[in-house]
Amino acid sequence: MASTRVLDSRDTVLPVFEQFREELDDHNDRRERLIKSSRDVTNLSKKVIFLLHRIVTDDAGEFDDKIGRHAAARAKGKFREIQSLFAAMCPELAGERFARYQRNVSPGLQEYIEALSFAHYLEHKSLISYDQVQQSLCDHDGIPYFPLPLEDYLLGLSDLTGELMRFAIASISRRGGRQKASDVCSFVRACKADFERLTPYYRELRKKQHVTAQSLEKIEDAAYAVAVRTSEFDLPPEMLDDLVAQAVSHAADHSGFGDEPRRKRARNAEYGDLDDDL
Amino acid sequence: MDQQNVEKINSILDAEIEIREKIKEQVTEFDKKTRTLAGILNRIHSTRSEQMPTLLDSARPVLESCRETTAALAAIIPENQFWKWKEMWQNSLRNAVFSAVLVEYLHSGGLLSLPAVAETLGIKPEWQGRFVLPAEDYLHGVISMVNELSRLAVNAVTLGDFEQPIKISLFVKDIFAGFSMLNLKNDTLRRRYDSLKYDIKKIEEVVYDVSLRRLAPSSGEPEKKE
Repeated sequence: MASTRVLDSRDTVLPVFEQFREELDDHNDRRERLIKSSRDVTNLSKKVIFLLHRIVTDDAGEFDDKIGRHAAARAKGKFREIQSLFAAMCPELAGERFARYQRNVSPGLQEYIEALSFAHYLEHKSLISYDQVQQSLCDHDGIPYFPLPLEDYLLGLSDLTGELMRFAIASISRRGGRQKASDVCSFVRACKADFERLTPYYRELRKKQHVTAQSLEKIEDAAYAVAVRTSEFDLPPEMLDDLVAQAVSHAADHSGFGDEPRRKRARNAEYGDLDDDL
Repeated sequence: MDQQNVEKINSILDAEIEIREKIKEQVTEFDKKTRTLAGILNRIHSTRSEQMPTLLDSARPVLESCRETTAALAAIIPENQFWKWKEMWQNSLRNAVFSAVLVEYLHSGGLLSLPAVAETLGIKPEWQGRFVLPAEDYLHGVISMVNELSRLAVNAVTLGDFEQPIKISLFVKDIFAGFSMLNLKNDTLRRRYDSLKYDIKKIEEVVYDVSLRRLAPSSGEPEKKE
């Protein structure tokens, strides 16, 4: 080390602080760049989620597994776009840097995992595994861009339950939608149980568990509304679907549909804007 | 969740918990040492300058004993995970930096540089990625020292040492000039930097009182007029 051990005058102090300035500036600039990239990832991921919702709910006709696979296939290109953003961030996150800037890229990463797990659910009706998420964040040689933090994986999945709630309620009025809603209901219930065990280790997960509980309750309420109304009639399922449609719009109004009004509004606004470019 | 995934999650979780527990143990030790140091260094306010070297000599072995802790931490932290865990010990580390720079100031009147503090605490350059002394923590420690020196300026006068406040004033101004060069963002370091001016003001007042009454030796003449 060329620097002096003890700095005993202003002339020796200032150059040292100049070094600190460079170091701190470098750190802050990198941090800002990563926050920006993370925001880009968040935006794209949100778009993918809207796209998936649109495909599975706007498609006329009976709901079947094909639509889920179709939706997942259409989202593939979008995911590749997001993955290339992560690839571009990779040099900034190399080595020890990832641990330093993890919290700055976390929001984007979690939103990406939410979108990815939603597409995965629509395609496979199962929860995407940790390894599968990590694999999606690897270069051509299978080398990870960065080690996937367990916390981000879990928090991303926790957000998935909210999307599934919207999906279940939106599709409940469609043919075959009641079965879908019931599948989603038990899936979300299982997720909630799986996460519960892990809440002592992650504070954020504890908070999100409340949101998951609310989402689950909304699905259950919608299923209840359907069950009550169908029990009054001895009709074939197709005719019931029309009745159910009314019941659901009612239930959705009361449950507020989204978890927060602000998000709902933003979502509706984006719906209109996005139709053209997707 | 399928079984395989659950197992994967558990294995990651277990590893993290183990590391956390081990770090916690070391941080408790680290805290004990920095508290002992703080206890010793608190006596500077009631120690006359001729006794100061003896007091500093009693602090040095404790300071050096921090090397065991840093070595133990470096052994626990996996490659490249320094920043993931650093918050667990950053307060202890800052306290240790504070003690190291304060001891050096009282010994030689200069500011111990970051690499020298790292060396004092036994932090080795090859631990990069596992255990380092970040500039931020060093700077926090330096600010703590300035806080302490503003108190010492007052108490030194009480003990009849009229030269000390003037030395402190010059020293702290150099440090403040250094901090002024940094582009700090709105974080704790920024807030603490903002608080430095109150320390400087307090020290200036002491210098003013002392020089007004012609208590200070004339060698401090140019500074006294400020």
